[in-house]
Amino acid sequence: MGERLQKLLDGAESEAESKVTEAQRRAEEMISKARTEAENKRARAQRGHGIDDLIQAEEEKAKKDAAKILKEYRKKADETKKVPEDRFKEAVDLVLKEVLPR
Amino acid sequence: MNEGSIELEAKLIERIVERRNEIVSRAEERAEAILKAAEKDCERIRAESEKQILNIVGSELRAVRDRIVGRSELEGRKLLMEARDEVSSSVFEEVEKRLRQMAEGQDKSINFGEVLIKLIIEAASAMGGDEFIVEANGRDLKYLGENLKQIKARVKKALGEGSIRLDSKPIPTMGGVVIRNNDGTKIYYNTLEGRLKSVRSRIEAEVAKTLGVI
Repeated sequence: MGERLQKLLDGAESEAESKVTEAQRRAEEMISKARTEAENKRARAQRGHGIDDLIQAEEEKAKKDAAKILKEYRKKADETKKVPEDRFKEAVDLVLKEVLPR
Repeated sequence: MNEGSIELEAKLIERIVERRNEIVSRAEERAEAILKAAEKDCERIRAESEKQILNIVGSELRAVRDRIVGRSELEGRKLLMEARDEVSSSVFEEVEKRLRQMAEGQDKSINFGEVLIKLIIEAASAMGGDEFIVEANGRDLKYLGENLKQIKARVKKALGEGSIRLDSKPIPTMGGVVIRNNDGTKIYYNTLEGRLKSVRSRIEAEVAKTLGVI
């Protein structure tokens, strides 16, 4: 009886050790894979490859910003054209005064 | 085996099973923690790598951005400049319209004959000399011809001396005069168009300021 129970405990220890070992193996594998992938990506980027996605994303972002900028300028341009009548008259009088001899 | 020892044995088995489960469970927790830490490490490696890649391609990305945003900035500034020009031009167009009305006698608040005399005196004074030949359009020539005596007197009064002669050939202008000396070596353009053009180049910025567009 005592021997069977001890075996059960030994089996549990062995199972536990194997679970931890397996986890450590998988962890090392994951990290190694991530390192290799990262290194490959860096090497590709240095050669100018594999950056299409980054460039496309930057292009999209820049296009949105550009549209905003242009919209602001259009708004400003429209406001510029709306000159109050008194200012317009003042400008006309200023020019007339300069053109006509004194 | 008596009842007491059976119960004892059952308790022992129960404790051993509990212990076994505890050992396995603890190992599972440790394994999970190892995998979690590894996943975290992987994320850090990936993030670091992305950062390094961004540094490597940064100049290329900046160039992409500058090209797109820069084009928009340029277009926007052009739009704004065109709007300012449009407003400013409308002022000078209005002035030209008003000058034409004055020259044609439609603006009764202005004595255009007096304007012509002042233009002649101003030109003659700037040119110097004592003999002046005046060119003008048909309508102004007619006025000047009809009032030549008075004009001569005004010029003499303003300059001390000087003789005025009219060139009978009309010139194409909305109004004003072109004055030359006898041998044609000195010419002074004092037409309304010429004055407007010169004023425009001189005070365009001031006009824009008055309009509030700069």
